[in-house]
Amino acid sequence: MKAPPKAPPRRRTAAKAATARTGAPAKARATLPRPPRAPARETEAGKNDPRERLRRVLFLVPYAVQHPGIHVRELARRCGVTESELLEDLEFLMEVGSPPFAPDDFLDLYVEGDRVHVALHQSFTRPPRFTESEAAALAAAVGALGGEGTERAVKALRDSVPRDRRASFDELVDRIYAGAPPARGSVLGRLQRSIAERRAVKLTYLSASSSTEAERLVHPYTLAQRLGHWYLYGHDASRDKPLAFRIDRIRDCALTDQRFEAPSDAELARARLFSEPTGEGIRVRLGPLAAAWALARPGAMELLKRTDDGGAVVELKGVSEEWATRFALSFGGGAEVIGPAPAARHFAEAVRGALARYQ
Amino acid sequence: MQKAQRLLDLAAFLLRAAEPVSWREIQEQFADDYGGTGEAAIRKFERDKADLLELAIPIRYEPGDEDLSAGYLIDRDEFYLPDLKLPPEDLALLYVAGSAALASGAFPYSRDLAHAMNKLSFAARAPGASEAAALATTHLSRPDAAGAGTSLLEELSRAVGTKKRVRLVYAGAERRARTEREVDPYGLFQKGGAWFLTGWCHLRRDHRTFHLARIEQLTVNQKAPRTPDFTPRKDLPLAEVATRETWEFTVHAPQHCRVRLEPPVSPEVLASFGPRARLTEDGTATVVELDATNGEGLVRHVLSLGHRAELLSPKPLRDRARAILADLARRVA
Repeated sequence: MKAPPKAPPRRRTAAKAATARTGAPAKARATLPRPPRAPARETEAGKNDPRERLRRVLFLVPYAVQHPGIHVRELARRCGVTESELLEDLEFLMEVGSPPFAPDDFLDLYVEGDRVHVALHQSFTRPPRFTESEAAALAAAVGALGGEGTERAVKALRDSVPRDRRASFDELVDRIYAGAPPARGSVLGRLQRSIAERRAVKLTYLSASSSTEAERLVHPYTLAQRLGHWYLYGHDASRDKPLAFRIDRIRDCALTDQRFEAPSDAELARARLFSEPTGEGIRVRLGPLAAAWALARPGAMELLKRTDDGGAVVELKGVSEEWATRFALSFGGGAEVIGPAPAARHFAEAVRGALARYQ
Repeated sequence: MQKAQRLLDLAAFLLRAAEPVSWREIQEQFADDYGGTGEAAIRKFERDKADLLELAIPIRYEPGDEDLSAGYLIDRDEFYLPDLKLPPEDLALLYVAGSAALASGAFPYSRDLAHAMNKLSFAARAPGASEAAALATTHLSRPDAAGAGTSLLEELSRAVGTKKRVRLVYAGAERRARTEREVDPYGLFQKGGAWFLTGWCHLRRDHRTFHLARIEQLTVNQKAPRTPDFTPRKDLPLAEVATRETWEFTVHAPQHCRVRLEPPVSPEVLASFGPRARLTEDGTATVVELDATNGEGLVRHVLSLGHRAELLSPKPLRDRARAILADLARRVA
């Protein structure tokens, strides 16, 4: 490639109007006039924030290069914008180029039918490295899941940040803590490997209902997080259906040589971590202090009423009697299970059982 | 000219230049933007350079030597996202962890995380199964209700990253009083599915932790956005604050406590006593030993574990547990 030419600078607007398309190779498409420059919208937040747009197009261009003829809808989805916003981005990109702003110096992405093609990519063939906040956010997510590869993954993220920003990355990583890993690194490492290689695993699993350990053969589809807990989601061979396994209840995990077919998208679209809560919930009466704490917690809890003393009655949906009892006891006398009758009895028995230990 | 366009033009220009481009040359080619003489043009260029670096596009100045003239350039190796060269299981970790965090609806720097997840498809030659797993994770991890307070978390992430002071209107839980305070935001942590801010509280002149759900109003200091307002104190690592259990809040002097757990004891019950608890087996049961600085917190935790858990010592805490249970037993009788 030759050194940048020393020609006198051209006025960009003139270059745009006069020569933008005339010298472009003939293509079977309508030659779009370059649109008038959009008014500056630098003050708007979110998607229209100029910085956001830059970050988006720095991914958009190489992604379109890598996927020639990608559908407008698919590219918009990948970029997290609507189709019309994507078209606005493409219009914006038609204005981008480098001196001397000859026709071939501009980016050239065009839509034919409903597909996006790239005629000139101006070396934007891969996205830029991770910014320190991109890498740090991902590193925080990785730290909260864990596994044997955690250190390797975080180091690779760090190495993918521009050299000048690595110190900022190091600092930021120490400022976000998304939770402690749910299980031993080796168990998680093996689960991650089995998911990546689509290999069945043999789990030693402590079931919540029976408090007994059992071996389960599972085709692991993925890991997912709900309300602060991590789950393995996969197909249980003996029950012949997909189930969720709480990761902190997996005592051990062994990879087998058995490979499995990936579940279809349709199958995964129907997937749920838990069955939907049905039937009557469990009602808990909360004292004033307990109410203030409980109502700030995340979770499926419905406020039934506030009491005069500042307390509340709430309904817990889709939880076991055991769980509701533990929840109420965690308020140190400030809460009790009041209904329905079997749940209230369970609570009363738990209270008497525990009290017996202290007599 | 629109700034976004100018920045991208500049990046395109320097990316394709074979040799460093002199300042004069840049001025000539971008006459409308950096033309003219003097400090103003240089300052504008330096600001653009800083903006590009924030997008992970580093512009370097080469001082030049006998073979090469001095000037600016974008080194392609320093620009393009490299292949991470990770084994498949580590990629699965990145994909699944990132997708779950993003889908949860509330995560610091969630917009950045979304960009990072997009870029990941360039950082590995064959993500295959991991990419499919990530899609499933996204679907499964989505909360029932749209995550409230995401913009609050986003604003706080920025304030933490840029070290800008914030003003909070905060609804306290115990006293239920609303206070207004200035806080130097040190970090963000997640516990039990909720997010917390930790920082130096200028009202209390001490480290404080704030539940994001109770922050009613947030104002970030807008002055001098690139100049930090504070230097975080290093005497309290975030992970330590985040893993601090309720009985480790500073209320009284440390008390040595013992808790007996009747088998079977599930791993999550053991883990619930935190990383600093010492576990011993006495043949028939597990005994947990720990130091509590907030005995009431420990009482509540032990009670929540049900009849298989028993607070053995110290006696005042044991008596407190018994009193709570006796009172509850009377109420449910």
